[in-house]
Amino acid sequence: MKKTYLVNDLVWITFAFVVCLGGLKLGFGSFHAPQAGFMPFLAGLLLGILAIVDLVQGFLHKWERDKPDKVIWAEIHWGKLITTLSALILYTILFSTLGFLIGTFFLLLFLYQVMERKSWGVVLIASGVTTGLFYVAFKIGLDSQLPRGFLGF
Amino acid sequence: MDLFNQLFLGFAVVFQPVNLFYCFIGVLIGTLVGVLPGMGPVAAMSLLLPATFHTTPVASIIMLAGIYYGAMYGGSTTSILVNIPGEAASVMTCLDGYQMARQGKAGRALGISAFGSFIAGSIGIIGLVLIAPPLVDFALKFGPPEYFSLMVFGLTILTFLTSASMVRALMMAAFGLIVGTMGLDNISGLARFTFNIPELLDGVGLVPVVMGLFGISEVFLNIEMKVKREVFTTKVKGLLPTLQDWAQSIGAILRGTVIGFFLGILPGGGAVISSFVSYAIEKRISKHPEEFGKGTIEGVAAPESANNSAAQGAFIPLLTLGIPSNVVMAMLLGALIIHGVTPGPLLLTQHPELFWGVVASMYVGNIMLLFLNLPLIGLWVQLLKVPYSILFPLIILFCLLGSYSINNSTMDVAIMMVFGVIGYLMKKISLEAAPMVLAFVLGPMMETALRQSLIKSKGSFSIFFTRPISATCLILAIALMVIPLLPWFRRPGVSLEQEDVK
Repeated sequence: MKKTYLVNDLVWITFAFVVCLGGLKLGFGSFHAPQAGFMPFLAGLLLGILAIVDLVQGFLHKWERDKPDKVIWAEIHWGKLITTLSALILYTILFSTLGFLIGTFFLLLFLYQVMERKSWGVVLIASGVTTGLFYVAFKIGLDSQLPRGFLGF
Repeated sequence: MDLFNQLFLGFAVVFQPVNLFYCFIGVLIGTLVGVLPGMGPVAAMSLLLPATFHTTPVASIIMLAGIYYGAMYGGSTTSILVNIPGEAASVMTCLDGYQMARQGKAGRALGISAFGSFIAGSIGIIGLVLIAPPLVDFALKFGPPEYFSLMVFGLTILTFLTSASMVRALMMAAFGLIVGTMGLDNISGLARFTFNIPELLDGVGLVPVVMGLFGISEVFLNIEMKVKREVFTTKVKGLLPTLQDWAQSIGAILRGTVIGFFLGILPGGGAVISSFVSYAIEKRISKHPEEFGKGTIEGVAAPESANNSAAQGAFIPLLTLGIPSNVVMAMLLGALIIHGVTPGPLLLTQHPELFWGVVASMYVGNIMLLFLNLPLIGLWVQLLKVPYSILFPLIILFCLLGSYSINNSTMDVAIMMVFGVIGYLMKKISLEAAPMVLAFVLGPMMETALRQSLIKSKGSFSIFFTRPISATCLILAIALMVIPLLPWFRRPGVSLEQEDVK
């Protein structure tokens, strides 16, 4: 049994059920006077039915046409993946507080080291130059309202 | 004569320095993202969309369109030299292009790819000029039922053609429809699935969704893969195809052009499908099919021509009906709406400078691309040698700032991250993102058309089957859903994630 695809279908069925409930809560109305929940309910229903069909097809064919679980999850660099994702979430949370220049400099410092270990001197220069170029492009070139942060720049 | 005057207007628009500049920037960036694996035209367009807020709608669309067809040119370079498709529409070019490069014919492969693209692009533009204006008159007869049925048909074609599993592709389309309902209801003004977050009242933005699904997810995938790029270090020479090359490939170029153009027009079609179909047909009609995959020049000429003419054909449904036929066109639709322009049958009369300016820019852009892709090939080869450890932080930063700068909101960045993770998981289990994005864009339009139709018919669904255009679209859509159930039918769909390009 390929657990990944089984879990996938179950997740979609649950999601579709929640959406249908949400649609009903918003108000389905009737076919001659559809309300706000009309479309979400229909889309949720469609998703639920399709996920059930996919699940049944999976059981019937024993997921023979799908990739094995081992292939899907093999050779994943969980460490790199999770640290990169965490860094991005942290950056998003602290972006306004730290400001563009400080936040981006530290993010790049981290990202440049994540993929390939390099000397700190090279990484510091690369991060500084890249941050500066992005600042010029977005702040000066495109007039974007980048956050200044608690230090005021 | 009228057509001539309109084209003249278009050229007068495109030769304004600012438009010429944006056209050049568009094709340059298009070539760049086409060359660099891991970043397609969709991500690049969403990235640069905020940059166009300060310019006119014409310049904006000229640049974004340039990125699209520019990427079709650039994608072939990576396919031929590295055996990794620069973008999805260049997958088929890998098969014979890389083999030609291994046999020392990289220059000829790149040359025929660029010339084939130019010929196909130019013919595609002529097709666009000839077909779009009459289609506008036809589109004026469309009411809500016709629009709804056409959009259903478009989504069905996309799910039918692009995925190995139609059920899963339809699931993704349903998911897109659900995401599209978030925000204020257009008719009642009621907040739907906003979780009391004020930023979600306007719904989820197209740019964060696309950047997450296509940009961030790609970075996550690349982080986990140990892809070793082997770029041909020998000097690429002999870019001009020989007479024998021309004789061998001109038929493939012309057939690819016609196939690509008509598949590009079809809602749900596009450059990727066109390149697959044209390659398959070329192999089938060839006198030496056994040479395909071993470095035959027709195997490069056909898909490259098809993806370029499809790029031009795809503009027809967007500019005449206001319906995007693929994800890239959905991005352009978003850009037009942001600039206050409503695409559809009235675009040609209300904004002729935009319509004809964009068409004329494609002529100019194609010529620019020929010069960018042949004499400057050495530059693009050098670019391919930039390690991914340097590229990936830049792609992430572009995505982060691109999402943020649309509304200056970290909520958009958070949405992008969420869709980045969703996109990554979808790619892991071969769920296609394209039907999801197209349904997400079409969803609000479909909902309005559906509700208007039902109100008009007092709740009767027969309105969709008693009007000829609507009935035709729905019957075709139903037929497409039924065909895979027939025992003798073999699915044509090729999942790009599963496509083995080695």
